[in-house]
Amino acid sequence: MSEVHVYGVVPAAAQPELEGDEVRLIAHRKIAALVSDMERGDARAVTVLRTHWRVLEEASASTTVLPVRFGTVMADDRSVVEEFLEPSHDAIVAALAEMAGKVQLTVKGFYEEDALMAGIVARSPAIARLREQVRGVPEAASYYKRIELGQRVAAEVERTREQDAEGVLERLRPLAIDARLEPPSTPDSAANAAFLVEESRVGEFGKAVAGLGRELAGRIRLQLIGPLPPYSFTGDQLAAGERAWA
Amino acid sequence: MAVAQRSGGGYLERPAPSGLADVIDIILDKGLVIDAYVRVSLIGIEILTIDARIVIASVDTYLRFAEAVGRLNLQEADQSQGLPELMENMTEGGSKSKTRGALEGVKEKVGLGGGDDDDDDGGRQKTRTRRRSRRDGDEDE
Repeated sequence: MSEVHVYGVVPAAAQPELEGDEVRLIAHRKIAALVSDMERGDARAVTVLRTHWRVLEEASASTTVLPVRFGTVMADDRSVVEEFLEPSHDAIVAALAEMAGKVQLTVKGFYEEDALMAGIVARSPAIARLREQVRGVPEAASYYKRIELGQRVAAEVERTREQDAEGVLERLRPLAIDARLEPPSTPDSAANAAFLVEESRVGEFGKAVAGLGRELAGRIRLQLIGPLPPYSFTGDQLAAGERAWA
Repeated sequence: MAVAQRSGGGYLERPAPSGLADVIDIILDKGLVIDAYVRVSLIGIEILTIDARIVIASVDTYLRFAEAVGRLNLQEADQSQGLPELMENMTEGGSKSKTRGALEGVKEKVGLGGGDDDDDDGGRQKTRTRRRSRRDGDEDE
């Protein structure tokens, strides 16, 4: 049985250029959903995620797109209209207008492990002491001390990460309309921050990130991802009038 | 798409847009939620979700951190011998990560890199080009 996979929503007037025949638009009044038909039960998550990503990327190259949460499937075209486009129409129109001309840029920072660990040992006498105690001692004999050492280091990493993430956020926030921290996505994450930026300021933002990267070099590597559809900034508006969701 | 820009000096690392692995946490759990939607059951979704979230608090992690600070300034090759096995016994099938760097990412496990899905990269490449040309001028920094 076929279902309709919903990727995102765009203004009905938009004619996004989409590769592949499988993706189509279901238009209703001023908005249109980006969907494809999918057989139930045989899809691999990685493949679908890649499609989701590609479809929204392609659409966002020429129009404003609001992402729909990954993995959203509806029974048929009629339910897309009656249960999604119609009840949320006004809120979506407003959200699309608000996001017009804006893109998401995500900045991720990654620790240089040795520099991070050296800094932590230098800052914490307790950690330095424990480290000396377990060095050269057989694994089995120092097991609990190693765990204690690791716990202290983990707490320090956490503290350092909070500071660094906040630092990146505050530093780049002036160039953005909105900004928020996302949870660390990898163990070596130093920062994971999403910024909503005017399209016209993307270049300026990139230069600022490069400048910050130079300052942090040796300790943190920065990665700039985007422009992206406003993944981190979509949903708040609708959640207000409907049910709350995390 | 998602362009990991790299400055001339290499201050913005992770050069190649490595693709899905870089954006998975950006995409998952974001966007509009439709009240009446059905959450589709996808093969491997648990793994994707788990890999987009890191779990810091585990014995496994602590031992890796301990190893990482212990390793500083000592580059003895055998420093980590024995630890992987130890950890494997302790983690109950949850985390599969072995010692490498203590902070080493978990992305490899997902196999996002290749062979794991049948979607080719052609579309993505083209999209990236289009995006780039759309905002030319900001990657020469």
